[in-house]
Amino acid sequence: MRRLSRVVGLTLVVVGLGILGALEAQEPKRGGRVVLGMGVEPENLDTIRMASAPAAMVSEHITQTLFTVDLQGNIVPELVESYEVSEDGRVWTLRLRRGITFHDGTPFNAEAVKFNLDRFLDPESKAPFRFLIARITDVEVLDEYTVRLTTDQPFAPMLAHLSHSFIGMLSPTAVQELGSGIETNPVGTGHFKMKTWTRGESILLERNPDYWEAGLPYLDEVMFRFIPEDAARVVALEAGEVHAIMRVPPADIPRLEADPDIEVLKVPSVRTIYIGFNNQKAPFTDVRVRRALNYCVDKEALVEFVLEGVGRVSDAPFSPGIFGYSPMTPYEYDPERAKELLAEAGYPDGFKVNLYHPTGRYLMDAAIAEAVQAQLKECGVEAELITLEWATYLATLRKPPEEAVHDMYLLGWGCVTNDADYCLYPLFHSGEWPPVGWHLSYYKNEEVDRLLDEARVTPDPERRAALYKRVIEIIWNDAPWLFLYSEVQVNAVRKGVQGLIHHPREYILATEAWLEQP
Amino acid sequence: MSERERSSFGDPAVTAVEPTRAGKWKPQREGAPGLERRRAAGELRRALRRLGRHRLALLGLLIVGIFTVCAILAPWLAPYDPTDASLRERRQPPSWEHPLGTDELGRDLLSRLLWGARISMLIGLIAVGIGVALGVPLGALSGYYGGRFDLLVQRLVDIMLAFPGILLAIAIVAVLGVGLENVMIAVGIASVPIYVRLVRGSILTLKEQEYVLAARALGASDGRIIFRHLLPNCLGPILVQSTLQIATAILWAAGLGFLGLGAQPPTPEWGTMLSKGRVFIRVAPHLTLFPGLAIFLLVLGFNLLGDGLRDALDPRMRKLTGPGARA
Repeated sequence: MRRLSRVVGLTLVVVGLGILGALEAQEPKRGGRVVLGMGVEPENLDTIRMASAPAAMVSEHITQTLFTVDLQGNIVPELVESYEVSEDGRVWTLRLRRGITFHDGTPFNAEAVKFNLDRFLDPESKAPFRFLIARITDVEVLDEYTVRLTTDQPFAPMLAHLSHSFIGMLSPTAVQELGSGIETNPVGTGHFKMKTWTRGESILLERNPDYWEAGLPYLDEVMFRFIPEDAARVVALEAGEVHAIMRVPPADIPRLEADPDIEVLKVPSVRTIYIGFNNQKAPFTDVRVRRALNYCVDKEALVEFVLEGVGRVSDAPFSPGIFGYSPMTPYEYDPERAKELLAEAGYPDGFKVNLYHPTGRYLMDAAIAEAVQAQLKECGVEAELITLEWATYLATLRKPPEEAVHDMYLLGWGCVTNDADYCLYPLFHSGEWPPVGWHLSYYKNEEVDRLLDEARVTPDPERRAALYKRVIEIIWNDAPWLFLYSEVQVNAVRKGVQGLIHHPREYILATEAWLEQP
Repeated sequence: MSERERSSFGDPAVTAVEPTRAGKWKPQREGAPGLERRRAAGELRRALRRLGRHRLALLGLLIVGIFTVCAILAPWLAPYDPTDASLRERRQPPSWEHPLGTDELGRDLLSRLLWGARISMLIGLIAVGIGVALGVPLGALSGYYGGRFDLLVQRLVDIMLAFPGILLAIAIVAVLGVGLENVMIAVGIASVPIYVRLVRGSILTLKEQEYVLAARALGASDGRIIFRHLLPNCLGPILVQSTLQIATAILWAAGLGFLGLGAQPPTPEWGTMLSKGRVFIRVAPHLTLFPGLAIFLLVLGFNLLGDGLRDALDPRMRKLTGPGARA
């Protein structure tokens, strides 16, 4: 009897502990370090000079923006508390949150915002993404916490663009004191402060104890480890060296899914992968040729067999969930039709072109290029693959049309502002040809230019959406690209880490993360 | 490596100069080319016989032979077009239909390996050809004339030898640009210094030989001495070095391919195949296993053959160990 009661008692204690533990698991715990494994190292962390998603991911932990995009794709205020737009859509009054300081103690106020925006807009600063807010003609400080932005004409995507990670708010004192040192030692208002950056290896951030949202962040430290080799990144996760990794190679997904300690997450991405044609160079000056190649490539097979299903065949130049999206019918895989079109265009025996592509930048990018090459061969088009390392790749492609070397190129565009303007204007407006912008296919259609310009200055969302629908129709029929697919991010996380945010902008954010056992 | 080879090479021609009974050195060979040729032929026969008894060398010869046949007959042996992709059949394990399975784009791996043999052999031969064509004359002139020219050439060679060969090849590809032809050129140039050193060393010892002095005394021109008397006597070491160098060239080229500096897709180059397959090493190990094996076997084959050739052509080795002792 006594023994029985002891057993019952023990059981109760065990169950009780279990319940306690379960309860505790719901409650975030303070302390500990989370390590995130990523494939590419940021080139720079000075917000005005950044140009890639990996840089933005690290930066988001340190430096904040006036607005931000939530997981549902809504644009919500971050460092701004409230805002007003004038009737004519040209004047924006932003009221800032109070009581925020930068990591170095400098107060965040209207002067700091003006400093940062002026720095971004200064043509001398050569910010590669200056075009985002280039319409702003004046930044005016009204009082300590109010700023007024004036544009030369109505600019509908303003708030979306202000949410871009590259328009982050850095401490004016630090920028002035550090000079170019700010590139490796950014001082922002974010959850974490820069601690050390070991080039080629890792970046370590420490908790900002004065962070303005009460209770946050939970972690003491966040580390970003750079592991370019896909297989090595997976092994690092399996070995428990990192808590989460990005860009899991598709072939490894089933194995990781079978691992009880690992969770695989598929997060829709705002990045669309495409192959651009050089529209100013024969044979791609002929729309029949461009359409033919669209018919010639089996997008479904690429997604299913090269990406193992982690992708979505494009039915528009950008992915769903973004303002202004309207679906078209994808060019179906029809090599016979492709050959007919090529013959019609005067190329019954096909032709030879080059196809530039990066390697290791996007999921299976080199394999995709090779698969496309093999499919084009079936239609008589011989594509010579030219593989370049990422930095060289961008520099090689971004040339004015008369200096262009590429016939075709594989590239991705992350439409991170969740607004069609950012998805279309930089890539299809003929005013954005290099050296100005990133329009590398040199497509020119005056109707598209006019509609894009008009949509920019149209404040009414419904009217804007209609304009973008028309633009997408024209682009789809003109086929300046070989439309491929939009990516699905595949991240994998070890059990025991809570609260990681897997953002469609291709980030993992540890800003609100915590460890079950710190 | 070249140090050891150079010093251990025997020189068959030394035996062709014999002291006469009177104790004076008498140059018999000049003016008697028929006899020299007959002697050389006898030497060659003996060398071949020794090679024939060297079992490892025969194994090497067999491997190289098989790969050569594969390379030559690839278009007829390969069951499929090596560039024919069928995404639906990607990464299939070996089966009756595809004896070595299919790669990440559904191309038949066996066909790609067979065509790859052609590419690797070609790289090996052309690269070594370039190395010999540039290195041998340079080494010969450098050794024969000596002086300032020798000094200049040797310092250049020193500089080139200061870099590991593969690094030198990478640097040359970086300058010339990526591609199969450039890989051949790069690997060829990177192997030039080895030949310069080898031939120069041989020439230095040979040029003081009596038969050379005699030829000079008889008024033979420098060109005649170098090409008729000196170089033929370096052939053994050059042959051995070349056999070994082909193996090295194949390995370097595969390394460059692995780094993405070599053959561009869809060319079925072994190193490139290895590199593309490594992403799938956990799920489809045959993508890396078979190209890796192919590289390993062919390189091993050339190395065994080269070692055997060295033993067969090296009289000192023969005296020390006896024919076929290693086998």
